[in-house]
Amino acid sequence: MAAHLSYGRVNLNVLREAVRRELREFLDKCAGSKAIVWDEYLTGPFGLIAQYSLLKEHEVEKMFTLKGSRLPAADVKNIIFFVRPRLELMDIIAENVLSEDRRGPARDFHILFVPRRSLLCEQRLKDLGVLGSFIHREEYSLDLIPFDGDLLSMESEGAFKECYLEGDQTSLYHAAKGLMTLQALYGTIPQIFGKGECARQVANMMIRMKREFTGSQNSIFPVFDNLLLLDRNVDLLTPLATQLTYEGLIDEIYGIQNSYVKLPPEKFAPKKQGDGGKDLPTEAKKLQLNSAEELYAEIRDRNFNAVGSVLSKKAKVISAAFEERHNAKTVGEIKQFVSQLPHMQAARGSLANHTSIAELIKDITVNNYIEDCIARKHPLIKVLRLVCLQSVCNSGLKQKVLDYYKREILQTYGYEHILTLNNLEKAGLLKPQTGGRNNYPTIRKTLRLWMDDVNEQNPTDISYVYSGYAPLSVRLAQLLSRPGWRSIEEVLRILPGPHFEERQPLPTGLQKKRQPGESRVTLIFFLGGVTFAEIAALRFLSQLEDGSTEYVIATTKLINGNSWMEALMETPF
Amino acid sequence: MDCYTANWNPLGDSAFYRKYELYSMDWDLKDELRDCLVAAAPYGGPIALLRNPWRKEKAASMRPVLEIYSASGIPLASLLWKSGPVVSLGWSAEEELLCVQEDGAVLVYGLHGDFRRHFSMGNEVLQNRVLDAQIFHTEFGSGVAILTGAHRFTLSANVGDLKLRRMPEVPGLQSAPSCWTTLCHDRVTHILLAVGPELYLLDHATCSTVTPPGLAPGVSSFLQMAVSFTYRHLALFTDTGYIWMGPASLKEKLCEFNCNIRAPPKQMVWCSRPRSKERAVVVAWEKRLMVVGDAPESIQFVLDEDSYLVPELDGVRIFSRSTHEFLHEVPVASEEIFKIASMAPGALLLEAQKEYEKESQKADEYLREIQELGQLTQAVQQCIEAAGHEHRPDMQKSLLRAASFGKCFLDRFPPDSFVHMCQDLRVLNAVRDYHIGIPLTYSQYKQLTIQVLLDRLVLRRLYPLAIQICEYLRLPEVRGVSRILAHWACYKVQQKDVSDEDVARAINQKLGDTPGVSYSDIAARAYGCGRTELAIKLLEYEPRSGEQVPLLLKMKRSKLALSKAIESGDTDLVFTVLLHLKNELNRGDFFMTLRNQPMALSLYRQFCKHQELETLKDLYNQDDNHQELGSFHIRASYAAEERIEGRVAALQTAADAFYKAKNEFAAKATEDQMRLLRLQRRLEDELGGQFLDLSLHDTVTTLILGGHNKRAEQLARDFRIPDKRLWWLKLTSLANLEDWEELEKFSKSKKSPIGYLPFVEICVKQHNKYEAKKYTSRVAPEQKVKALLLVGDVAQAADVAIEHRNEAELSLVLSHCTGATDGATADKIQRARAQAQKK
Repeated sequence: MAAHLSYGRVNLNVLREAVRRELREFLDKCAGSKAIVWDEYLTGPFGLIAQYSLLKEHEVEKMFTLKGSRLPAADVKNIIFFVRPRLELMDIIAENVLSEDRRGPARDFHILFVPRRSLLCEQRLKDLGVLGSFIHREEYSLDLIPFDGDLLSMESEGAFKECYLEGDQTSLYHAAKGLMTLQALYGTIPQIFGKGECARQVANMMIRMKREFTGSQNSIFPVFDNLLLLDRNVDLLTPLATQLTYEGLIDEIYGIQNSYVKLPPEKFAPKKQGDGGKDLPTEAKKLQLNSAEELYAEIRDRNFNAVGSVLSKKAKVISAAFEERHNAKTVGEIKQFVSQLPHMQAARGSLANHTSIAELIKDITVNNYIEDCIARKHPLIKVLRLVCLQSVCNSGLKQKVLDYYKREILQTYGYEHILTLNNLEKAGLLKPQTGGRNNYPTIRKTLRLWMDDVNEQNPTDISYVYSGYAPLSVRLAQLLSRPGWRSIEEVLRILPGPHFEERQPLPTGLQKKRQPGESRVTLIFFLGGVTFAEIAALRFLSQLEDGSTEYVIATTKLINGNSWMEALMETPF
Repeated sequence: MDCYTANWNPLGDSAFYRKYELYSMDWDLKDELRDCLVAAAPYGGPIALLRNPWRKEKAASMRPVLEIYSASGIPLASLLWKSGPVVSLGWSAEEELLCVQEDGAVLVYGLHGDFRRHFSMGNEVLQNRVLDAQIFHTEFGSGVAILTGAHRFTLSANVGDLKLRRMPEVPGLQSAPSCWTTLCHDRVTHILLAVGPELYLLDHATCSTVTPPGLAPGVSSFLQMAVSFTYRHLALFTDTGYIWMGPASLKEKLCEFNCNIRAPPKQMVWCSRPRSKERAVVVAWEKRLMVVGDAPESIQFVLDEDSYLVPELDGVRIFSRSTHEFLHEVPVASEEIFKIASMAPGALLLEAQKEYEKESQKADEYLREIQELGQLTQAVQQCIEAAGHEHRPDMQKSLLRAASFGKCFLDRFPPDSFVHMCQDLRVLNAVRDYHIGIPLTYSQYKQLTIQVLLDRLVLRRLYPLAIQICEYLRLPEVRGVSRILAHWACYKVQQKDVSDEDVARAINQKLGDTPGVSYSDIAARAYGCGRTELAIKLLEYEPRSGEQVPLLLKMKRSKLALSKAIESGDTDLVFTVLLHLKNELNRGDFFMTLRNQPMALSLYRQFCKHQELETLKDLYNQDDNHQELGSFHIRASYAAEERIEGRVAALQTAADAFYKAKNEFAAKATEDQMRLLRLQRRLEDELGGQFLDLSLHDTVTTLILGGHNKRAEQLARDFRIPDKRLWWLKLTSLANLEDWEELEKFSKSKKSPIGYLPFVEICVKQHNKYEAKKYTSRVAPEQKVKALLLVGDVAQAADVAIEHRNEAELSLVLSHCTGATDGATADKIQRARAQAQKK
């Protein structure tokens, strides 16, 4: 069922099974029939861990969404709340419990906090006079959720904003906890590298937590050789650019949520002659995107321009080989995808063409372009992405230009966006140029971020994912693996936050004797989010024949420029 | 060795009983045992004595002394009894001494005479006083049963979880029962009592009369009753000198015996071994001890001294002023090996080994004899088993040596049983030592388990021995050494004469980072004894903040708790401390504390953002954070205010704050917003329709769409909308209106700052190629090809491209050539290209 998780070098199914076991154990604690009341945000991530069938096996008969007033009627013995530890949710739960019909059959209440039990929330429940109503109050430490054979995410939407804008380290603490869980399953990671303020903090917490766990010596042979912690604000540029890999583009255009994409229904209408567009399906088509789908695994990380040829080749092979045998559902879906291509091409044309940053940065008239976009009232997010992109690439904007953009944005899109602009300035995405040197060219040259001769069909460098721009974050990872960060000390000093290295000593029995030619496994953790294009670039590095490192990617949230901007935006009404 | 069986006494044909000395007691008893209340805990536990001054008629001239001794007579505690008269003493399963007072209060003491707690057996007991009491043990723990002056019974099956149960009344009961006992089976506690010739069984609800089957006639009273250790059997002693033995259910009779002594015995207890078929009771009178079983004869011993019997799982302990003995049925393995002229394999093997040591060839003969019968494995097992039942180390050794010798001649004898027996015996010998004084037998030890034994050593503060045992048995640290060290530390913190510094250091030296030691537990104990400073010092060693912080809060060290919580990175913990601090400190101090802790401050701000907006404002005010104050008021202008005046006022406050923050831009923008709001309000009044909260851009657009061009222009001028944007705006609006005439006029009003390509584009977008064509001529040359292509004029586009000699443009045009209609154009381009190449 989750076989795709075990394809990689590190079998992430072990993690999935571990969290599933934990879930089952909790459910079995509440004997008898159950109804689950969901904090709606959790349903997506939970879907990757346990389908309804698992819940059903453990006598879950009903599921509700958490909302105020009285709970819907359900003839069950147990009511279990699955919630994030948030005060506002506690208020709702209390309302639910207090309005419970006393004349009805007595029901047992339980709370499962995801990912962590919170004293604060329990205090709130106590203040509201309902704490005693709960028989089991437990935590379900679902920090890192396996998305794919090499991909883990915390799906914590607000992580970037909380860490970099609001000084709230909660998600970092959860990240550290998640890393401890990983180490409990996959062995202590002997070396930790990091760049950035948050990375430093996570590493500190990990070292501290390790001290707390001294009782249980970890005797598992380490699977990961290194851990690389990267702050998103070390590389603010990459997510702003439009991703040009297949999966990245799907995410940019339609948005991928918990590995599912919802596609507009009209693109999947059966095309019959004489059928004048009647009976169009109205519900969005929902598809799961992961490496369980062989074809998707092959094309997801390709540059979009290379996808077409692969697909057409594949389509022929597939229809010949599979169709007669059993018209697998997947084949149907592939075909639908293939039929999607022209539309994607068009969408890409309108969106990607302009914002493909390679063009943009080289274009001297970038100012005019942005100006035009505002004047024509292009979507605000696009404008913000462009403005931030320009600011980041130039180590800030001239004060006059900055003020001009801001004024234009406020006048065009409304004054309420002053809050959003403030946020962007706080996050460092927008800033005035200060007297100092523009460091960006140094970084660009040293890290070879701009590659002129990019081969989109048969890439030789990670820059193919943005058709010429190599994501800085991935370049840092690449250089760490070979020849090491010592070679780029200067650039590291320019980039924000400290860089560091920590060792976690292993008992002699667990130290690895490396076979010649055996590659290392690096867990790379993006604090604040990672894009599909970056993931593609890392997969490309893993697959290089002379590559010395394979990557497993973890993050607080899978993002793209739009979702990232949205999280930073603030509308006061 | 010939005399080895000298202390074996046969009872009937099949069983032997032996009595051997455990210790010679050198306790310095001031009183006779008979004058004392005595309680001895099972499993070789401690002995408590309280000289009973209340029994005698003469008034107590002096306060009695409660003394506690180990089983070997080493004094553990001695204290003056200052409370009320005690009726009964008994030990709980946790080796706590329960002292039942006449008034129904039960005082609980530790092994070292430390007072633990007390509880009451209820009002009824208090009113009617306690006549008699028994402490009994069930699978739930230890219970107390009380007979009150009103001849009613009250009991609690578990003193750890006190639930009092008043038993039903015995109808017509006038006098106290002659004897009674508690019976437990199927998790229910019953009381069996004897009144005259009648036996009554009380359960929670009913009282029933029972008759032991096969009881000899003529009984007018029962003098004693005894229940076996496991509650399976019952013995009754009647006034006719007759003993009835049977199962506790009273369903059948096992056996009976007439001892012809009519004097009431002092004590009667069962003496049986688990899994043995033999049943026997030991009856003690002043000078006589009798073992009675299913045999016509009994075994008799003379008691030189006042003695006391302690029933055990597999026998009876008998202690007196000078000795402490153990009486039990000889186990099968020992019997087989040592019985005179035994030919059992174990006996032969022991013999063989002895001959071998003497270097006699007889060894071989014996060995061969066993091997011929194929019983060597059995022989080894027998020797190992018998070793376990020997009290004397020399006997244990010789049996183990024999086993080891026999093992040499066996191919695959699993070593576990031998190794474990050696280990167990070593542990047993250690705890049986006089100084330790826990005379456990092998069976008792196995029943008790090593964990409980370790607990008991800890209880006796024998930490080094406990640790040695853990290390010797290689117990996992968490269950073994760490646990004991933690107990040691908890004891250590109670030593009030040692300074905090020294205690903390001593504890840390011993414990270090030993896995599984909870410093917070130790600290909690220290705090419990009122040593807060020591607790804080100890908490420093605690790596788990989740444990550290709550205790610090409890000790009112909130600020320290805050910094610890922050160190941990656990935000929930920080929040918890913060809310605690908030209640504890006044607002000013609280804010000052926050100021010094940036992480806590930002977390608290987060909290306020969702929960207490006003406090958030105060926080920004305190920090002079005008920028955030500005944003705060901007938000407020949307959230709180409905009326336009209110909104403007909030925005004014925001603008003021932005000025203070030296954020000129934001201040100006906010002022613009205020201006726009007022203006929009006026527009709504004058023109009707929706204007409020439209952006400036949209306001202008709405005006144009509504045909209010003048006002639109005015607004654009007032707010200095750049020309370019205004042109875009007008262009889009007019095209949306499809007001082509106005659009054309507009295009000619002056030179377009955005060029004319957008005009072409927008007309095409509105599907009006006719209008679009009007503008193509005015498009700048470099965009002309694109414009012409847009309106579909491929031929002209080709001409322009050729004129421009621009390769890119040529290809662009070529890509727009569709086969049928534009064939000529395509050729033209190809020719132009060819020409260009020639040159």
